[in-house]
Amino acid sequence: MAESASGSQDKSVQVKLVLLGEAAVGKSSVVLRFVSNEFQPNKEPTIGAAFLTQKCRLEDRILRYEIWDTAGQERFHSLAPMYYRNAQAAVVVYDVTKASSLEKAKSWVKELQRQANPNIVIALAGNKVDLVQPSASSSGSSSSPDSEDEADDATATPGETPPSGEPESLRQVPREEAQAYAQEAGLLFFETSAKTGEGIVEIFTEIAKKIPIEHILAASRNNSGRPGAGGRGNNAREENVNLQDDQTKSKDACNC
Amino acid sequence: MATISTALRNFKEPTKDQLTQFFFSIPSSTSLTESPSQDTDTDVEKMEINAVLSLGEQGVEDSYAGKLYIIAPYLAFASLDRKSVRFTIPLSTIRRVERLNARAGIYALSLLTWHGMKIIVQLTSLRPTADLFCSLLRDGLKIELQKGQMKAVKGFTKTCFSESLIAEPAVADGEDAAATSAEKDASAEIAYHGGLGLKFKFPGDPKKLRETSKLKLWTTYLKTHGRNITLLRYPQCTRLVQVGLPNRLRGEMWETLSGSIYLRYANPGYYDRLLQEHKGRTSTSTEDIEKDLHRSLPEYAGYQSEEGISALRRVLQAYSFKNPELGYCQAMNILAAAILIYMSEEQAFWLLEVLCDRLLPGYYAPSMHGTLLDQRVFEALVQRCLPMIHEHFQTVDVQLSVASLPWFLSLFINSMPMVFAFRIVDCFFCMGPKVLFQVGYVALQSLRSSCECFSANTVHTAILKINGEQLLQIQDDGGFLNLMRDYFASLGSSAHPTSSDPRARAITRFQELLLISFREFSIITDETIQQERKRHRSEIIHSIESFSKRSAIRNLRSLGRFDKEQAGLVYDALYKAMCVAPPPQTLLATVVKEPSLVSTADGSVGEEKPETRVGLKTFRQFLSEVATWARDERIVRNGPFRERVDREVAEHEFIDRLFYFWDVGCRGALSFQDLVSGLDGVMFNDLMENIEWFFNLHDKNKDGYLTKDEVLTLSETFLFIFRYEIGDAYLGAVSRFMTNAFEYGDALLPRPEPKDEEEIPQSPPPIGSNQPYLNLATFRMVVLADEVLESFFETDLSASFKLELLPDLDLPASGSSVGGIGAGIGGASGFLGDLWSSIATDGNKKMFNMLTDEFGKTIGKHQVIHKPSIGRYTKLEEPKARESLLTPSMRKSASKSSLKSSDTSTTLGTATTTPTVVASSSSSNTNLTSKPTVTITSSSSDKEGLIESGAPLPQVPTTPGADAREEAKSLAMLQAVAKANAAVMERTPFAIDDAEDSDEEDGEDEDEDEDDEDEGGDELDGDDQVLDEVDAFLEAHDSGLTEADKEVAKREFGPLFSCILG
Repeated sequence: MAESASGSQDKSVQVKLVLLGEAAVGKSSVVLRFVSNEFQPNKEPTIGAAFLTQKCRLEDRILRYEIWDTAGQERFHSLAPMYYRNAQAAVVVYDVTKASSLEKAKSWVKELQRQANPNIVIALAGNKVDLVQPSASSSGSSSSPDSEDEADDATATPGETPPSGEPESLRQVPREEAQAYAQEAGLLFFETSAKTGEGIVEIFTEIAKKIPIEHILAASRNNSGRPGAGGRGNNAREENVNLQDDQTKSKDACNC
Repeated sequence: MATISTALRNFKEPTKDQLTQFFFSIPSSTSLTESPSQDTDTDVEKMEINAVLSLGEQGVEDSYAGKLYIIAPYLAFASLDRKSVRFTIPLSTIRRVERLNARAGIYALSLLTWHGMKIIVQLTSLRPTADLFCSLLRDGLKIELQKGQMKAVKGFTKTCFSESLIAEPAVADGEDAAATSAEKDASAEIAYHGGLGLKFKFPGDPKKLRETSKLKLWTTYLKTHGRNITLLRYPQCTRLVQVGLPNRLRGEMWETLSGSIYLRYANPGYYDRLLQEHKGRTSTSTEDIEKDLHRSLPEYAGYQSEEGISALRRVLQAYSFKNPELGYCQAMNILAAAILIYMSEEQAFWLLEVLCDRLLPGYYAPSMHGTLLDQRVFEALVQRCLPMIHEHFQTVDVQLSVASLPWFLSLFINSMPMVFAFRIVDCFFCMGPKVLFQVGYVALQSLRSSCECFSANTVHTAILKINGEQLLQIQDDGGFLNLMRDYFASLGSSAHPTSSDPRARAITRFQELLLISFREFSIITDETIQQERKRHRSEIIHSIESFSKRSAIRNLRSLGRFDKEQAGLVYDALYKAMCVAPPPQTLLATVVKEPSLVSTADGSVGEEKPETRVGLKTFRQFLSEVATWARDERIVRNGPFRERVDREVAEHEFIDRLFYFWDVGCRGALSFQDLVSGLDGVMFNDLMENIEWFFNLHDKNKDGYLTKDEVLTLSETFLFIFRYEIGDAYLGAVSRFMTNAFEYGDALLPRPEPKDEEEIPQSPPPIGSNQPYLNLATFRMVVLADEVLESFFETDLSASFKLELLPDLDLPASGSSVGGIGAGIGGASGFLGDLWSSIATDGNKKMFNMLTDEFGKTIGKHQVIHKPSIGRYTKLEEPKARESLLTPSMRKSASKSSLKSSDTSTTLGTATTTPTVVASSSSSNTNLTSKPTVTITSSSSDKEGLIESGAPLPQVPTTPGADAREEAKSLAMLQAVAKANAAVMERTPFAIDDAEDSDEEDGEDEDEDEDDEDEGGDELDGDDQVLDEVDAFLEAHDSGLTEADKEVAKREFGPLFSCILG
């Protein structure tokens, strides 16, 4: 059977996820951290959108995230529907050091709730918390090169190296405020740092937990009226899912 | 975010002249105000002429037939195929023009450029044409000489690398040419402009790129074919471009090929001045730029240094200052960064200008309409040329643009290895935007085969074609993107890795890509692209507009009591108003920076986004769209012709007052939100709320009291709103209002009087006209004392705001129509209806209207009637109990208002009727609906006589039965009554004066009536009574009832109304 190629896809559940948020809040960096556990201080702005995938294991299922990382600048806004259509999940990112980015995030949430897939799972992520944490916490290997980068890290709020003494002063969005908003709007909420990796995996894990996987499976079964992917493929898919229930025992969270 | 742009509406297809200018990359003379050609009124005429071009005596090139253009201050040539040979040469570089007399009958000119290149053009047109051309050329040259441009040439060309390349060919010798020259530059004066590459190295391996031999080839070419501003583009030139420009020459060639060099030449010092003038200025654009500076080709050494970063900053900022409307768009940073590797800041600035303005029009605009349009065009081309792929993409619901959009936006620079991308950019500048389409298209096409090549690892093309088509196996966007990414990443690898022929193995995929692009897919031409753009433009504009409408509505902080659809109607009205009366540029996209300490009334946080705000002028237009009293509507009828409504925006202090009332943020301008909130504040009110609203509107200092002055102003507002009401009911009401207001007001002044309305205080305490005088409670009382005003506040005020779009919302194609829109509502109701629809453009409409007016006047059928805004009362109904209380003032007002037309009123004064009024109504077009009847009882003949149309009609000759108008349903009935009245009023004098015409007229009327009946047939059929009455009327009419015969008039009324239906 030609299943060998597509069979591997069948084992996993595909989840289309879109990243939205103001320019330079670190959307691409969040994805990069999640997908390849890297951090580039000067990530080129995304033009249109970038596409990445990452598999993720949740309990007995494998999720295959198809991540659409969109351009942040306002004028690319009108392109966004192209990317968030059919998305099952969205991560709306803001920058904790920039109050206006939360406003933009809110308007994204509003748009998603009205225009996108009605069952979409939305997570709100306040990125760049590393900038507002006391330097002690930025322990580990990454701290020394990072502090050098910070000087020309253009994506940070322009014009300053974070004063190590009182980093909280950089913070413009209090955690409580964003959290309250997220609760009110029914969003998952995280504060993250693409630089240190804090909170990144958690976002995707929590999204995975919240996603109505059965729905997706049902949906993909229904609209697999694709030529070539006949009814046979559907059966195979179902089988695979069942098989998998028995098969997978490791309960790792995201397998990054 | 709530920016509303009507810019897209204003798009005009370029004229032929403009296209020619585009083709030759000639900067448009109006592009820069500071260009040194202030005295362009002496512009030399443009002209084109058939010519044959040959190059000097060297005989290095064939002769090419083509067209020679003089577009002062440039001379341009294109061969007949518009491809092989072309040039654009500033006149100032021409040093000598000689007429060659080689053979008889041949008219040839020899042009000698400043560096001694000789161009020979043989003018093959008729002699007089050639003579004319020569004289234009002479004039053009003379002007250039006077302007001193001739002297500027040498200084300018010094900035071009090509000059030094030719002067010292030694530079191009070694492999390490770049290094040696960099040293040289450091020591000696660097005359020519260069990019960061000179210091930070160019991307790619110079040996592999065969820099030296390329430079040699170019040196030879430039020596014989001119260079920089005098470059002649022969086929050889294009070929050399296609194999890739040498790095050191690349910047200049980009500049030359794209034509940005002419801009730089024409505007010396502009870039520096621009930066100087705007030093330290910040905007949203500069903020956005700042975010991206370190993210533009960060892997290139030049952008890891402050030097590169600040050059990039300056160029991007300068462009955003030059074109604030466009500002800065992500992707421009990548372009600019790429360009700056090869050219100086000033060169890059002008190239950016050409890119954004001409080569990629609308790509980076805030709406990105150019990008969207070209994506649509690309899709259409794929559909046409690669139907299989298109079909497959359709079935699996993959959008082509997810991949292709970034290709176009960043000229592939982000999508493939830089070395390759730059070669595409070379071709792009040389051959224009079609290159993007060709390459994109071939990328898709070749993917079909080459990807297969990957997996199947066989080379047989036939097999590839059959099996291949990995693209056709893609199931979703993601797979597509991955495939494209892999493909682009593999461009450097061999296209035929398993071929036994080493030469075939050496061909990279990139070479193959380019080869196919230009060999096989030359079917995609600039013309195709133009056509496709034209075809899809309106669709794209529509989708952009509806998107921005949706998001504007979504981004409203509060919808008030509107639902989304209604807010959409408000948006439409605003949009239309903006088309007609565009707000000044300064309001369009001002960044509203909230001073951090002052919290604004609407309490928005961090509102840094540009927001569209409209000024008073646009507001008036807007209000005239939604409020009946904010426009002057005149119904113009011209006998048998189509009737129409002329609409004009009303101006009154009240409207201004409303503007400032709604401007809660005190910004002197209103946003969409302000308008929605403002309308929300009045459209859903009940009686008491409306009274309060109206009171507050006039209570300027918000102290809860109106001053005497304000009471007067308020009365004027009443009069303004009621200005076109028929009858004296409203006038009377206002008059009573004033009387009562002052009575109550005086009565309730601090020294309390016994609360007895009848009793007028003996000695009203003196009070200043600007002292608090009337409070809300009193105002309310006064209003409620009057039936007319009460009903006005109860329903009519709110109802006078109508969100339904006025008919005739054909948005002006040009957006340029000023003042009153010649609004033709009502369908084709005259025999010219068909004709009408075929000529319905804005300008034509006006002319046509004027014509019909004239015609109508000649045949004595021109009639203009003002449409009332409220139109509820034409007179009071049954006298009410409380009316007695008001009688005196009523009488007073009655006599006052009757003065003007007293003579008329006496003639018809006692036309007391209890007619059955059948009023016309319609759903926004002329379809007539018969309405329930209304009985109007007049209480006194005296009052009856005062019926008059509020409009200044008397001078206009009119006919009865001629006016029949529809309007929004609720008004229709009463309007008809009103118009009938007016008609009767006007009829009398006219009929007497022009008695001899009456037969003819009547005949026409009859025709018309019949027509009208036909049109309204559906509705009228059921109403026999009406038809009977029509007949009755016509009979009566024929028998000459036009006399001021009261008895007949009495009978006449009913029929008249039905006739008005027409």
